[in-house]
Amino acid sequence: MKLTIEDKLSLLAGSAKYDVSCSSSGSENNYKTGELGCTHNSGICHSFTSDGRCVSLLKVLLTNVCIYDCAYCINRVSNDTPRTAFTPRELAELTINFYKRNYIEGLFLSSGIIKNEDHTMSLLLQTLRILRHEYRFNGYIHVKLIPGASKELIEEATLLAHRVSSNIELPSSKSLALLAPDKTKEKLLSPLKHARDITMERSSKPISMSTQMIIGATSESDFEILKLSSSLYQKALLKRVYYSAYIAVNNHKHLPVPELSKPPLLREHRLYQADWLLRFYGFSYDEILSENQNLDIQFDPKTFWALSNLHLFPIDVNRAPQEILVRIPGIGIRGALKILQARRFKQLSFEDLVKLKISLKKARYFIIAGKDFHRSTSLYEEKIKLALIHQGSNIIQPTLFDTSIYTGEL
Amino acid sequence: MILLYDGSFEGFLSLVYEVYYEKLQVSTIVKKMPGSLLFERFHEVFTDEAKARKVLEGITKQFTKEQQRTIFNIFLCDTREHEMALLEYLRIGFKNPKELRNINNAHLFYIQNLEKELLCLVHKMYGFTRFEELDDGTLYAKIETKFNIVPFLGDHFAKRLGKIPFIIHDVKRSLAFVKNDELREIRSIASFDAPTYSSDEEKFKALWKSFFKAAAVESRYNPKLQQNWVPLLYRTYMSEFHA
Ligand code: SF4
Repeated sequence: MKLTIEDKLSLLAGSAKYDVSCSSSGSENNYKTGELGCTHNSGICHSFTSDGRCVSLLKVLLTNVCIYDCAYCINRVSNDTPRTAFTPRELAELTINFYKRNYIEGLFLSSGIIKNEDHTMSLLLQTLRILRHEYRFNGYIHVKLIPGASKELIEEATLLAHRVSSNIELPSSKSLALLAPDKTKEKLLSPLKHARDITMERSSKPISMSTQMIIGATSESDFEILKLSSSLYQKALLKRVYYSAYIAVNNHKHLPVPELSKPPLLREHRLYQADWLLRFYGFSYDEILSENQNLDIQFDPKTFWALSNLHLFPIDVNRAPQEILVRIPGIGIRGALKILQARRFKQLSFEDLVKLKISLKKARYFIIAGKDFHRSTSLYEEKIKLALIHQGSNIIQPTLFDTSIYTGEL
Repeated sequence: MILLYDGSFEGFLSLVYEVYYEKLQVSTIVKKMPGSLLFERFHEVFTDEAKARKVLEGITKQFTKEQQRTIFNIFLCDTREHEMALLEYLRIGFKNPKELRNINNAHLFYIQNLEKELLCLVHKMYGFTRFEELDDGTLYAKIETKFNIVPFLGDHFAKRLGKIPFIIHDVKRSLAFVKNDELREIRSIASFDAPTYSSDEEKFKALWKSFFKAAAVESRYNPKLQQNWVPLLYRTYMSEFHA
């Protein structure tokens, strides 16, 4: 049976949808007069799907044919699903036409492994070449590096794309061996390392890279996950780690039973919040969690940390430097900057903080502002906990009305 | 005193001129003659280029670049009572520019929030604006928005679309940003015949819809969240939300 382009698109977008590492934000503006396309550095959402996730890129696979057999993946070779592939030209035309109509910011291209690694990587590159050279397309392109592809191909990818990435998928070698027998940690990390080294040679900044880890398919603790993320950030391998709540698509003896497992959305949410603490607030992973611990479900990681370190509080908002201010629950980077600016003019009181639109819901238990101190609750852990819980719905509904899943700001 | 002006930027600047030089005590500024005028005095301002120019010169001298942008931005918030707040902003700026940073002043606070609201809308529409391709290759977008953001969208898409000619049509205000090889301008559009679309248009719309559907993860279904991000009022011209 011959599939129409519409069928292909449905299939190949359908199998790419579990990849969450696809935001286009943070890339530099690169507008060139008279050429088609430019990226926008805060990222632009063009729509939101019925699960409430942002659509900003044409996120598809080149093909869902795959010679690998990863247990959690809908495209693994042992699954009996309809297979198809775009030609590089079809894909390039689709991208251009979607872009022109302002449906998308650009392309997020991934692929199953067809024939072998280099062959697949070449097909991906062919698509990028048509877009960049023939159509002179400047819009955002993110391409997945195929684990095991040769150095030259990876180098070309770093020249053609804004961002490259390779999904680590599982947080440990043990789990990989169990669920993704064709992959090893080395094989997954090596394209990232190549890409980093090549781009560092060209300029002082490495190309921006990201990865995704599936959460809840295997037994690693949040501590192990954050430790891994943190070491990846430190080696300048990655700009961003995405966490994706495990969604059951296959039956497999080493995976949670599909009927019983709902995607652990709250855990995913907490990991994003903790990740934010790592990247922007100067926390280290072992401050957030101790060995083999999981993130608290009831409190966000910053509040949890504060409650376990009450000897550091209350903090005087009129004195504390920025790096300390951002450690106060409820006060993010923007809040800290507002405080720093405002206190140059006067001593800040609670009322001033409210005027600055700083939410005191959590913060008030942890701060002193001028003469004000929230005396109704003394700094005694249990009391603060109670007070925080009695503020109403303390357990955050993940994703619902909560933008911190995207920003992580706490 | 109630002031009436024609709603144009020049008209507003002329109004500012008269308020200053004729020391008018303003209570309300309107664009249309009110139905009944019981107790208030009433004065109509006619747009006058010379007066407008004079005020504009004053503004460029007295206000920073950023503040000038704010003035212009606020003026685009045309479905709100932006005129009185803006008048106050100008009054303060001409008297004591330092005071413009004082957010304890209700007018300034209002202006600051209004500008934020405008920029937020602009950012949303960067993403939610949809073009359709006409038979001559021109891209054509219809919009209906709370504020007048055509100038923003025009600049944004001029960068983005390279040499492709395009039209952004503000249906509510009968305005359009038109860009092609010869011109790049905002004009008022009295009437607009239904255009003929390119033969590919329906195909790509259909493709976009299938992509949109396929990209959703069923087990994370959350239409409330979706509506929180894309409120119904934005969906009029977004084909993915139509059956
Ligand atoms: S290599 Fe990728 S596409 Fe192939 S089975 Fe594994 S996860 Fe799926």
